[in-house]
Amino acid sequence: MNTAVTRRGAATGGALEGMRVIELGQMVSAPYCAKLFSDYGADVLKVEPLGGDTARRWGPFPGDRPDPEASGLFQFLNTNKRGVTLDVTVEEGRELFLRLVSEADVLIENNPPAWVREHKLDYGVLGAANPNLVMVSITPFGQTGPYSGWKGCDLNAFHLSAAGHRYCGKPGEAPLEHGTFSADFYGAVTAASWGLAATLGRNRVGGGQQIDVSCAEAIGATFVGGQNIGGYAQDGIFDRRTGVGMGQSAPASILPCKDGHVWMLMLEPNQWDGFVTAMGSPDWATPEMFRDRSFRGENKDLIYALVGEWTAQYGKIEIMEVCQDAGAPVTAVLTVAEAAEHPHLIERGYVVEVEHPTLGKIATLGAPFVLPASPGGPVTAAPLLGQHNDEVFGKELGITDTEREQLRDRGVI
Amino acid sequence: MTRPPRPLDGIRVANFGWVWAGPMVGQTLAFLGAEVYKIESQARVDTARTIPPFAEGLRGIDRSLSQHAGWAGNGSITLNLKDPRAVELARQFISQCDVVVENFGIGVMEKLGLSYEELVEHRSDLVMFSMPTAGRVGPLSRLRTYGVSLTSITGLDSVTGYVGGPPIPMENAFSDPYNGILGAFAILTALAYRDRTGTGQHIDYSQQEAVMQMVGPAFMDYAMNGRVGGPLGNRHPLGVAAPHGVFPCAGDDRWVTIAVFDDDEWEGLRSAMGDPDWAAAPSFATHQLRVENIADLHEHLAAWTAAFDDHQLAELLQTKGVAAAPVNSVAGLLSDPHFRARGTFVEVHHPLGFGETIYGAYVKTSVSEASVPPGPCIGQDNERVFLDLLGLPEGTYRQFVEEKVIY
Repeated sequence: MNTAVTRRGAATGGALEGMRVIELGQMVSAPYCAKLFSDYGADVLKVEPLGGDTARRWGPFPGDRPDPEASGLFQFLNTNKRGVTLDVTVEEGRELFLRLVSEADVLIENNPPAWVREHKLDYGVLGAANPNLVMVSITPFGQTGPYSGWKGCDLNAFHLSAAGHRYCGKPGEAPLEHGTFSADFYGAVTAASWGLAATLGRNRVGGGQQIDVSCAEAIGATFVGGQNIGGYAQDGIFDRRTGVGMGQSAPASILPCKDGHVWMLMLEPNQWDGFVTAMGSPDWATPEMFRDRSFRGENKDLIYALVGEWTAQYGKIEIMEVCQDAGAPVTAVLTVAEAAEHPHLIERGYVVEVEHPTLGKIATLGAPFVLPASPGGPVTAAPLLGQHNDEVFGKELGITDTEREQLRDRGVI
Repeated sequence: MTRPPRPLDGIRVANFGWVWAGPMVGQTLAFLGAEVYKIESQARVDTARTIPPFAEGLRGIDRSLSQHAGWAGNGSITLNLKDPRAVELARQFISQCDVVVENFGIGVMEKLGLSYEELVEHRSDLVMFSMPTAGRVGPLSRLRTYGVSLTSITGLDSVTGYVGGPPIPMENAFSDPYNGILGAFAILTALAYRDRTGTGQHIDYSQQEAVMQMVGPAFMDYAMNGRVGGPLGNRHPLGVAAPHGVFPCAGDDRWVTIAVFDDDEWEGLRSAMGDPDWAAAPSFATHQLRVENIADLHEHLAAWTAAFDDHQLAELLQTKGVAAAPVNSVAGLLSDPHFRARGTFVEVHHPLGFGETIYGAYVKTSVSEASVPPGPCIGQDNERVFLDLLGLPEGTYRQFVEEKVIY
């Protein structure tokens, strides 16, 4: 077994080295998808409008002072990318974009489908310019279907999937999103997976294609649908959120403790036995009938009250440790800070630093998985607005200094 | 049988993954053309096969409807890995595979004699994918969680709940299909590396670290400002939109989502509402003020939405340029015109003679159409793998079946 985690970040040797990706994306979904490519070694060129990706204006900002070069969201989502500014909505800009795309393996974008068509940037046009292009489109609703023309964001997509209505929130109260952009992230990883497969398989299917990801559909199908739709279609089973983790057993939910909360989930009899030991074998918990999870589920009010008296006396880390040692699957509900600072993630080197031209060293999360033979993860900070204009338009496309200046004056780059 | 080419044609996967996340890895690769076999056993039937409801209401390990949906695309072979002969067959099979997937606890594959170090002896460029809760090494590497509680150690649960209230659990394992799909991406990156260099590797996929990426925005606020937030309800994670929430509609448990990011959209919303007096209040005069007074704003808005049908209200707001959509329920998913138009759910005919509704290709590919088979019967591919692929003599195969090696 490995004794250490081979961690992260190397300027060369990434798994996707040699792959050329263009990102025409903003905010979360397409940028995170493209980050999965750039953090594993692909050359990702982010094409931003002249005013920059909207995420540059969303923060969080150091000291809460808005600065398009300091947005935490933008910094997180755009590591290891190069960046240019280009107005693709004017003809000259569009032509430059087509030149970039004609050399690329992959285009990742999350623009409204109508906008893409209006500016003649749809797959029909781009695929004709580069038959080997894989165009990955990530939108809340998708490229087809009655809602494909709708305006939407993460929240709209998440709840169209029924994830909240079925699984999160109290009965009678509003269904809940996760408190982050979880539909955007879900769509992004889906697009990365399908998009990379399509790219690696171009020789098998005869070239490029368009990959149409609807964030709502990805969650609605794989998370909610897979677990519910068969039963609904056959038997009309129509379950909804309960506000409790799992009704079939207890404790099987989030419980308060002295300094926060813990997630407790006892299903197997031996887990319950371990949990009873962890609690110091109180008299109430020892009867044989409590080893049956359904029995505990049927008497959950009692169980939660009695377990709650115990958890109220201890801190979440303490509870996690004593329960885990006894074989009971109990975990602390960590804040984002507690998770990041946990000795486990410190030892694994999950939080990394990158050098930013104006912000200095900034901390960010490392790569989501470790490839021992081909290091991945953030090495360079997100690009400044237009940072690579000269390199890309000058050196790579061979546009002279004078021509570039004219393009700048005309507001194209 | 000929079928249209798919991107991962020719890639073969041995999938030891169980329950949900591991089978989802296999499904993702299979929908894209890979030949994937779940390796399981009747000696210890995968829990997912025992989850009701069952096809036609008849309990059976080949009849769980949720398992069929989540596993579709995986084939199935059976090996009782407690028998050393079964382990040897597994090794032989793996020597014919590009990828091994497993989501057992730490050390299980080693105990079975199927560690990466042993398997590369049989297949030198093997890509092995392990997805333990918190990674293969580190103080928490033996942590016990379920998919549904894994989010607790990522920070995600700490921001899920009503504003000002305690964390509210997501009542199923969002992490499982998420990690299943992202896990497939991890494997593909390693296959790309193998294709370029001839070298395989053992991927250390920590589910904790993969899922924690979703709270990257909140982490940045902590890293930059030392700020630690609590549950956000349905508010925008960075507080840049108002309104931004879920609002009640007419009927039982019906809701609509509405998000407003700028003045134009606010004007659209006001116009849709018929420009009520409250919306003209000074406290809502600018976007910044609306963000600051969002609780009050939401209260007013909820009083207006409550009279509308969810779909009709979403359509009305869309005509005014406002991001809005109905909140679906389980029932709504199946009847939603958008998902019907996209063929999100499909009825398939199972070889055991019943029809069942599962999800189809949840991504639309313009050239290589994914084909979606029904969920696998346990051991359905035994003859194909052990006789045709491994070339086991018929007599030996029968003996192994009788002696519950292939079982």
